[in-house]
Amino acid sequence: MIAVFWVCAVLSVAGGFGMVFSRKAVHSALWLALTMINLAVLYVSQQAEFLGIVQVVVYTGAVMMLFLFVLMIVGVDSSDSLVETIRGHRLASVAAVLALLVLVLTMINQATQSLALNIVPTGLEGANADEGGNVQGIAKLLFGRYVFAFEVTSALLITAALGAMVLAHRDRLTRVPGQEELSRERLADPATAAGLPAPGVYARHNAVDTPALLPDGSIAENSLPGALVLRGTTHDVREEVAVTRAAELASDPKQAQEEQS
Amino acid sequence: MGVQLPFPTPQIEYSLLLPVLVILGAAVVSVLIEAVAAESLRRTLQPLLAFGSLAIALAGCVGLWDQRQVVAQGALVVDGPTVILQGTLLILAVLGALLMMESRVDPAGDPFAARASTIPGSADERGFGARRQTEVWPLFLFAVGGMLMFPAANDLLTAFIALEVFSLPLYLLTGMARRRRLLSQEAALKYFVLGAFSSAVFLFGSALIYAATGSLDFAGIADAVSADPTSGLLLSAGVALLLAGMLFKVGAAPFHQWSPDVYQGAPTALTAFMSAATKVAAFGALLRVMFVALGGAAWDWQPAVAVIAGLSMLVGAITAVVQSDIKRVLAYSSVAHAGFILTGVLAASPKGLSGSLVYLVAYGFVTLAAFGLLTVVRSPAGEATDVQQWAGLAKKSPVTASVFSLLLLTMAGLPLTSGFTAKFAAWSAAWGGWQTGVVVIGAVSSTIAAAFYLRIIVSMWFSEGDDAVVVALPGLGTRTVVGVGVASAVVFGVAPQLLLGLVDGVGVFLR
Repeated sequence: MIAVFWVCAVLSVAGGFGMVFSRKAVHSALWLALTMINLAVLYVSQQAEFLGIVQVVVYTGAVMMLFLFVLMIVGVDSSDSLVETIRGHRLASVAAVLALLVLVLTMINQATQSLALNIVPTGLEGANADEGGNVQGIAKLLFGRYVFAFEVTSALLITAALGAMVLAHRDRLTRVPGQEELSRERLADPATAAGLPAPGVYARHNAVDTPALLPDGSIAENSLPGALVLRGTTHDVREEVAVTRAAELASDPKQAQEEQS
Repeated sequence: MGVQLPFPTPQIEYSLLLPVLVILGAAVVSVLIEAVAAESLRRTLQPLLAFGSLAIALAGCVGLWDQRQVVAQGALVVDGPTVILQGTLLILAVLGALLMMESRVDPAGDPFAARASTIPGSADERGFGARRQTEVWPLFLFAVGGMLMFPAANDLLTAFIALEVFSLPLYLLTGMARRRRLLSQEAALKYFVLGAFSSAVFLFGSALIYAATGSLDFAGIADAVSADPTSGLLLSAGVALLLAGMLFKVGAAPFHQWSPDVYQGAPTALTAFMSAATKVAAFGALLRVMFVALGGAAWDWQPAVAVIAGLSMLVGAITAVVQSDIKRVLAYSSVAHAGFILTGVLAASPKGLSGSLVYLVAYGFVTLAAFGLLTVVRSPAGEATDVQQWAGLAKKSPVTASVFSLLLLTMAGLPLTSGFTAKFAAWSAAWGGWQTGVVVIGAVSSTIAAAFYLRIIVSMWFSEGDDAVVVALPGLGTRTVVGVGVASAVVFGVAPQLLLGLVDGVGVFLR
């Protein structure tokens, strides 16, 4: 038992430090997960099996993974700005941490005082035995004394689901064209009937962000994928095409004459 | 392990829980209507359901008048204060719902965004035009259900869940204004982040109180407190954190920072309901915690509450003076009112309880009416909330100007208005002893506030106005809300014994 404590305590404190001192948000999240798993082990070793499992399933499993999802969506490599936007932020944080420290020390002090008064901490063994087990004991409280609060949490969950829907979903104002309509539309125009030109395919390399050149040497802007155009990450080839064209014309006077006439 | 112990079926007194259960049940049905009914049908069904359930709950609440009982396995208490607070909340909810339905004052439609998910200013948003987001109704009903539970909660766990049940829908509704949507969304985010933080503080406080007393029940905490009156640091820290969490909800200084921004950003119809009903619910719960659970340690929390009450009154009154937006003026004045009500809490006596309840009832109706009236004074850009735009209002609409003047004078506490009755009831409880100082601060700060209210009144009656500002003719709903507010201000002012007698009849908290 004491070995479990020392291993998990050291690891969870290390996780806490790791979380605070990591520069990347994902690393911080993973350090926090380490802390939480170790706390779960500590709970189980204190006969609070239910709490330990919930800690792993809900906190480490659901909440931390949700955290990671959000971080990944926002962008893993988007580094946080470390500029303080609130004046005296650091000072206030230090004060808050000190206050919390006093609070925790008081709790430890009260616990040790009761030891000095020969009040022996009984742990959960007695309570668990009374109810026929830790899970049974919690079930009795959850579906007995606190059944009303337990049922009302469903209102909270419905509100959360409804709120997410209200903030994110809306009905469409315009009809989305179907596959048949799209293909008819495409075939109606002879220029696109055989499909749009593929993006840049060249002798030396292929590139999806570079537009294709049509047989007459002009640039086919519609060969670029729409998503890349919107993102603005396509390659501008106008200058290169102009240079190449000039070189071609210089090396071939006959063609240059044709071009001029 | 493996021993099968008999599990007693929990006793739920359904008839005594009627108001809460009807409202929460209606909210769930309302969500189902959202899922199955067509939009045109929802527009009529949802308000019908809301008003119907509020009426049934109100009738049930009246039926509970003489009940004094701990119900639902000790989760909730039905006693006099519960019934009067729930009744007040339900009437305020009916009035709030009337404001939410109003679609005549704004040519663009009702107070809420056609679709909250559209990007403000986008073509998509314009495409939805004057359509309505009927999801506001289930959210509103959930909020009302949570508010009904909060002052009745008999343990810290139930109180916390009730707090969350009514807060979450309010965060959402705050961000759904039809006009000035960026401001509204910013307000919602602020409210959500700060509110979540204050809930965490509340929870931390509950945990510390549990650690100190070994109980989450108010009665159990009271026993532990009276068994060991020299409460340790653990209990004090727990009480401090719990107080901070609850004072955030009532908007008392220095936990009021969210309220001006949120009151300003939220759709005015919701601000009206929120400013009145949240205060009633949160003060109800605060009174129960302080009087029932921590009554034995009153000497410990009274100084802290005294400081917060004094600070709220002064900060609210003085900051209101320098505001240029009328919604912010009312927000800061509600901070000051929180301080006035805390004066009643401070008394820690049955008289303090009835004084606070009188104040809550009087304040709720008047505030709701004042915010309701803000919606009718309009400029082409929406509501005209700049104080200067209200200048010369009396020439455009003498009725609006008179009613608003009366409501402001009531808030200032002019004799023969309900404001005076309320202040008298709350302050007479705290008068005498060392609390007298707080009452004096209250008198000073209400004089400061009165000066500012008078300045608005003078500018409404005696200066030239902006021609772009017009007074819209509101629908029956808004007129009812304003009418009820004015009636309560006059009736409870001229015949205070009606309100005082009603509240005195409810007795004290049941333990």
